Amino acid sequence: MSGAAAQAIPPPVPLIPERSTFRTAWDLVIVLAVVVTGLVVPFQIVFVREVDLGGSLLVYLLDVLFVADIFLNFRTTFRAGGSEVTESAAVVRRYRRSGFSADLLGVVPLDALFLMSSAAVAGVPVVLLLRTTRLLRLQRLLRAFRQWERLHSTNTGYLRISKLVIGVFLLIHWIACGWFLVAVVEGFPRDSWTVAAGIDGLDRGSQYLRSLYWGFVTTTTVGFGDIVPTRNAEYAFTILVMVLGASMYALIIGSIASLVSSIDAAKTAFWDRADGVSQYLRSRALPEPLQRQIRDYYEYIWERYRGSSTQQFLRDLPDPIRLEVVFHLTRELIEKVPLFRHAEPALRNALLMSLQPLVFVPGSFVVREGEVATGVYFVSSGKLTITMEGGARHLGGLEAGDYFGDLSLLLGERRTGSVQATTHSDVFFLSTGDFERLRGDYPEFRGVLKEVASTKSAKLEELVSAGCIL
Amino acid sequence: MKISHDEQDGVAVVRFEGNLDTNTAPEAQEALDDLIGAGTVKVLVDFSDLDYISSAGLRVLLATAKKLRGGGGNLRLCGLNETVAEVFEISGFSTIFAVFPSEAEALEGF
Repeated sequence: MSGAAAQAIPPPVPLIPERSTFRTAWDLVIVLAVVVTGLVVPFQIVFVREVDLGGSLLVYLLDVLFVADIFLNFRTTFRAGGSEVTESAAVVRRYRRSGFSADLLGVVPLDALFLMSSAAVAGVPVVLLLRTTRLLRLQRLLRAFRQWERLHSTNTGYLRISKLVIGVFLLIHWIACGWFLVAVVEGFPRDSWTVAAGIDGLDRGSQYLRSLYWGFVTTTTVGFGDIVPTRNAEYAFTILVMVLGASMYALIIGSIASLVSSIDAAKTAFWDRADGVSQYLRSRALPEPLQRQIRDYYEYIWERYRGSSTQQFLRDLPDPIRLEVVFHLTRELIEKVPLFRHAEPALRNALLMSLQPLVFVPGSFVVREGEVATGVYFVSSGKLTITMEGGARHLGGLEAGDYFGDLSLLLGERRTGSVQATTHSDVFFLSTGDFERLRGDYPEFRGVLKEVASTKSAKLEELVSAGCIL
Repeated sequence: MKISHDEQDGVAVVRFEGNLDTNTAPEAQEALDDLIGAGTVKVLVDFSDLDYISSAGLRVLLATAKKLRGGGGNLRLCGLNETVAEVFEISGFSTIFAVFPSEAEALEGF
């Protein structure tokens, strides 16, 4: 290809990531535009009933937005099989198969062909009636919400409530328009409901408001009886709306109840479990301080971890991702405990992957004197106290960055001291098995421990001199 | 446990043979205290024939080191086997005590 020919070809428009802020913001604009379309088109047909400049400009401006949306949809990536698809041809194929046809029909300006025509049906210009094809855009709204629910899985409750509110409002708006349309189609006869309600001479806004009022009153089954049908067509429409309204009302109440409880399903499930435990403890007449301690533990777990079991969550992940997550979860530990700072990445990662997170509420024992050594403990946060002889002797404290349990393990002796949490404490535990495995797999582990041990020699000397082996 | 000692260049070299544990710790402490009481300020403990040391043995060493420091003296260790050396290194005792591979190296510059 010649240089000139190559220069003439414009560079391809870059693909837009599905998860990008721009795409989310654009989808929000489109959702608003769909809602406006859903409001404006029926309103123009029923209450305006003429082709005015303002209304037409608004409709065509919205058309421009939706045409732009079609172009953007052809250049937006999507996720398949757990990864993002960024091949242009695949993106085009997918959009063609999914929403393109409906989107295209929704922007074809059929009404523009009749702009110069004064043709009308039942007093409503054909131009306005042909604008109803734009209501096909409603499927775009549903697609946007489905997308958001998929990408933002933590907020699906709020999204579903939003979708419900929009759906209900649009439906009642259409019912209001339909109610007034009955009078329009019948040509506002003397016994029309509009005459009986005294709104036939009012401005458009007031007529719409009265119609909307009727829509709400009927669909919510309140039925004040101030605006009532007077003609057969009106009765038929009212029956239809009552059937629809009763179903919709039940659906709304049920959906809202379900959605509100699902927003915090995790919290509800967690506290249900905690309440179950409390009930069990009461039934077994456990001492009150112990019951409070357990309740305290659940409250701390909720505050700190939102009730999630880190171990369970990590088990479901593949190793590379688990390491990344563990790295993030233990960053405080890595910063504070010299052992992790001094270790080379391979050893550090092996250590981190072997750690088990533990939580201790104030007053609970991490280790007790007389226990066989089961592993080493690394303090990530909180304060602990060292005691001997059943608490009679206090031998100082431990805080974030300290670790203990290695001496009794190395000497093969039982612990002669206890460690008790004085505040809520997050501790990571390395079992004896893992400790020995790492010593065998990583010869440099000994050197790291030696280097780090120098930082705690003063405390070690004090404890061992006192006969305290942790 | 068998305890023996001699003097080399003004340094009391003490040798423990066997295990330095809860049972033998009092005997070891007494032997070391006797040396300090006799005016010795430099003590080298040779672990070449020691198989095992427990926390009780470590307390004996800590107490001895403290007493010697108080009198302006010093305690050195040498001849730790692989197991004992690893315990000292990993736990941090090799920072508290001056540890040497052999008696000759420990006596040098004492």
